Amino acid sequence: MGFLLVAVFALGFQAWLPQVLPKDSDERAVADVLAKEAQPGDVVLLHPWWTERARLFLPAALPITGYLGDEDDALLEHPRIWLLAEPALPRTPVASFARGFLPGRTLLGPERHFGPLTLGLYRNGRARGVLFSAAEALQAASVSVALPGAEPVPCVRDGAGFRCPGGARAEASWHEVLYRPSRCLFVVPPGGPGAVELIFDGVPPAATLRLEAGIVWEHAWKRGNGLTPLHATLADADSGAALASLSVEPGREGFVTAEAPGGPRRLRLRVQSDNAHEREACLVLRGLDAKEAAP
Amino acid sequence: MSRAPDRTDRRIALGLFLGAFALLWATEAAVGFVRDETVYFVAAEQAARWLGYLFHAPSRALSDAVTTQAFDFNHEHPVGMKLLFGISFHLFHETLGLLRPATAFRLPAFAMAASIPAVLHVWGAVLYGRRAGLFAALCFLAAPRHFFHAHLACFDMPVAAAWLLVVYAFWRSETDDRWWLWTGLLWGAALATKHNALFLPPVLLPFVVLRAYRASAGKPAARDLVQKALLLLGAAAALLAVLLLVLTPEGLVRSWTLLSPPTAVAALFAAGVCALGARLHKTEMPTFRAVAPLGAMLLLGPAILYAVWPWLWYHPVDRFAAYLEFHATHVHYAWTYLGTVLREPPFPLSYVVVVTALTLPVTLLAPMGLGLLSLGIRCVAALRQQWRARIAPASASEALVGLNALASIVLISFPDVPHFGGVKHWLPSMPFLALLAGRQVQLAGDGLAVWLGPRLRRVPAAAITPLLGALLLLPAVTLTAHVHPYGTSSYGELAGGIPGAASLGMQRQYWSNNVTGVLAWLNSNAPRGARVWLHEVVSFRDYQRNGMLREDLRQANGPADADIAVVQYHQEFREQEVAVWQAFGTTRPVTGLYIDETPQVVVYQRR
Repeated sequence: MGFLLVAVFALGFQAWLPQVLPKDSDERAVADVLAKEAQPGDVVLLHPWWTERARLFLPAALPITGYLGDEDDALLEHPRIWLLAEPALPRTPVASFARGFLPGRTLLGPERHFGPLTLGLYRNGRARGVLFSAAEALQAASVSVALPGAEPVPCVRDGAGFRCPGGARAEASWHEVLYRPSRCLFVVPPGGPGAVELIFDGVPPAATLRLEAGIVWEHAWKRGNGLTPLHATLADADSGAALASLSVEPGREGFVTAEAPGGPRRLRLRVQSDNAHEREACLVLRGLDAKEAAP
Repeated sequence: MSRAPDRTDRRIALGLFLGAFALLWATEAAVGFVRDETVYFVAAEQAARWLGYLFHAPSRALSDAVTTQAFDFNHEHPVGMKLLFGISFHLFHETLGLLRPATAFRLPAFAMAASIPAVLHVWGAVLYGRRAGLFAALCFLAAPRHFFHAHLACFDMPVAAAWLLVVYAFWRSETDDRWWLWTGLLWGAALATKHNALFLPPVLLPFVVLRAYRASAGKPAARDLVQKALLLLGAAAALLAVLLLVLTPEGLVRSWTLLSPPTAVAALFAAGVCALGARLHKTEMPTFRAVAPLGAMLLLGPAILYAVWPWLWYHPVDRFAAYLEFHATHVHYAWTYLGTVLREPPFPLSYVVVVTALTLPVTLLAPMGLGLLSLGIRCVAALRQQWRARIAPASASEALVGLNALASIVLISFPDVPHFGGVKHWLPSMPFLALLAGRQVQLAGDGLAVWLGPRLRRVPAAAITPLLGALLLLPAVTLTAHVHPYGTSSYGELAGGIPGAASLGMQRQYWSNNVTGVLAWLNSNAPRGARVWLHEVVSFRDYQRNGMLREDLRQANGPADADIAVVQYHQEFREQEVAVWQAFGTTRPVTGLYIDETPQVVVYQRR
C-alpha cells in the first residue's frame, strides 16, 4: 500500500510541476508591465535567485539581480525593487527569503500575477543616494604604483583601465565575488611592499564613504601556499589622514566592508598585497547620501 | 543445486539485453559529449590506430617507444574499454562507414550497460523470483541518471557492469563448475575497465572465508588446506607491508626489478596459490569452489590487466604505481552541494546518501531503501538466535548483494575521496540496490494481492506485482523521458524535481554535454564564420565531426575573442558568465537551455 501511495505522489508531482512553471507569455506580460512602469534606478530581484530565464524577456535597460545569497543584498543604489517571484516552485525558500529581504522594504500597491509569476514593487528603505562611485570615476582618476621611499610610477591608460608596472592593473569591470556580480574597481596589486594607488579628485561631499573589497572568483577560498592578505586603505589624499582600511585574508570569500565619514574632496585608495598571486580584487567604493534615496 | 537460470529467464535476459541495447542506440544521437568522453574518443582512436599498426609492422608496434606513444595519452585509465571503443570506431565508422564516429565509439558501452538488466534479471529471478528479477532489471535502467550514463563511451557504466558480472560469477561459483574461473577472468576485465575494480577482492574476501569454513566443516584435510591458503594470503600481504614500510612506496617501485625480493614474494605467492588450489581440487570440490574464485582473481586479474594494457608492458611496476598514485592523489574539482561549493576535503559524510536520495525517482528510491533496510534487519536476525523465529534471516547470498550495494557508496562517502562527478562514482552499488528493490516490490505485490484478493475478482493475483511494478516504474520512465538527453540535470521528487534541487543549491549539471540544447540555435542563428566560445566544452571539433555543429563556425578561447559565448551554468563558474557580460557589454542572453525553468546553458551574442 505504501508503494502505491509513493507512486501516486510521484505521478501527482510530475503532473503538478509543469503548472507552476511560467510560460513565455507570462514572462512577456511581466516585461510589458516593466517596460511601461519601471523608472530609472529600479532593479528587478529574482526569487528564487536562480530563475534567470527572465533575463531573456525583461527590458534591457532594467538591471536584474539574482545570485545565491541575494536576499541580504541592500541594493543600495536602487530606491525601488521589482520582486519577480515564483513562489509556487518546489522548495522555494519563502521564509528565509522574507527574513533577509523584507526588513526596510515596503510593498507599494498590490502584487500582480502572471501565471505562476508574481510581480511586486517595493520601496527600498535600505537605498541611499549614491553621490560617488569609484568605478564610474576611474576614467578621471590618476593611478600609479607606489613603492616605499620612491616616487610613484604612473600607470598607463589602457582602454577602460590602467596598466601598471610589475603586472599591476586597475580597471572598471564586472566581476563576481562570492556569486555576487558587481561592476567594481578591479585591481591587481604589484606584490611586495608596492601598492596600486588611485587618486580621485572632485569627490562630491557624501555623508558616508563605503568601501567593499573582495577577492574575485575561485581565488577567494584558497589559503596557504604563500598567499597573503589584501590590504585596501582609503585616505584623504590632501592631508594623508587615513579614513578607512580593511584586509581580505586568504580564504575569505565575499566582500569585506569598511565605512568612514565623508567630506574629503580628494581620495586616495591604496591596494597592496605582499604576494600578488591570486589576489585579484574587486573593490566597490561609494560616497553615500545620509538620506534614503528618493523613489 | 545449480544457480543457473531456467530457459525462460535466460530468454527474458536476452530480450532485456537486446531491448536495452536497441533503446540506448535509438536514443543516443541527442546525447552530448561529456568532457571526459572527448578525451576517450581520442585515446580510443589512438588505440585502434595502434592495432592497425600491429598488423602492418608487428615488431615496431610492440616496441617500447611505439606502445608508449600510442597509450601514454590518458594513461590514468586502463585501456580495456578504449580498445573496444577504438575497434568499434574503426570497424563501423572508418571501414564500413555505417555509423557516425560518436555512435561507433559508444556501441561497446551500450553492450556493457545492456548487460546489467540482463544479469539483474537472471540473478534476481533465481534469488528472489522472476518478478523481482524483472523489476530489478527495469528499475536500474529507468533511473534517469543511469539511463544517461549508459549512453557514454566512458567507464562508469562499464565498470558498474563489470562489478556486477564479477559478483554474479562469484555467486554462481559456489554451486556451479567453472564459474570460479569466470570470476577471475571477469575481474581481469573489470581491472582493465576502471580502477574501482581494485576494491572488489576486499569486498568478496569475507564471503570466501565464510564459504570455505562452511564447506570444510568436518573435513580436516580440506580445512587444513583452507587455513594454509589463508596463511599464504596473510603472509604475502604482511611481506608486502614490510617491504612498503622498509623501502617506502617509492623505494619499492624503484627496487622492483625482474630479479628482486618483491618479484620473489609475488612468484612464491602465485606458486603457493596454484599448489594449494590443485590439492584442494583433488581433495574436496565444494571447498575448492569456495576459495577458487579469489585465487583465480588474484592470479588472472593482474595478468589480464597487464596483457591488455600495452602501456604497462615495458615498465609494469613504475607505471602501475603511477596509475595508482594518480587516483590516490586525484585533484578535487568544485562541486555544489546544498548551497555550498565543495572544493577540498573533508567532504560531508552524508553526501553520497543525500545525493542518491535526491537524484533517484522516489518510486525507485523507496523500494531500494526499504530493501536495503530490510536486508540489514534480516542480517542482524541471522546473527541473533532470538530474532530468527520472528524474522526470516538473510542468507549469505543476500548478504553478498547487500555488501555490494553498500561498498561503493561507503567508499565514496569517505570525506577525503573526491566527490565531483555525482552518482556516476558509486554506480557499481546501484545494480545491487535494484536487486533489493526487486525483492521488496515482489513482496509488496504478494502482500497486496492477498489484501486485495477478495475485493478484486477480475484481476488475477499474479498480475498484481507486475501492475505495482509498472506503476512504480512509470514516474521514473516519465522523468527519464522528460529530462533526456540531459540526464545529469535530473533530480527526483524528494528534491522537488530540477527546480527544487536548484533552490536546494545542488549541482545543476556536469560537464558540458547539455550544450547540445543550444546547438540547433547556433546552427540557425550564428553568422557565417562566427567565433563561438563553448565554455567548458572540449568537444567543439567532435560536434562538428558528428554533424551536430556547423563546419564554418570557429572555436574561440574565451569571451574576449568570441562573437557568441555559450556558458555552462555551474555555481563555481559564475565569474566566467560575468566576464561575458563585461566582454559583450550586455547582461542579457539571447537564448539558452532552461530545463524546468533552471538555467543550464546560457547563450550571449556580442552586440
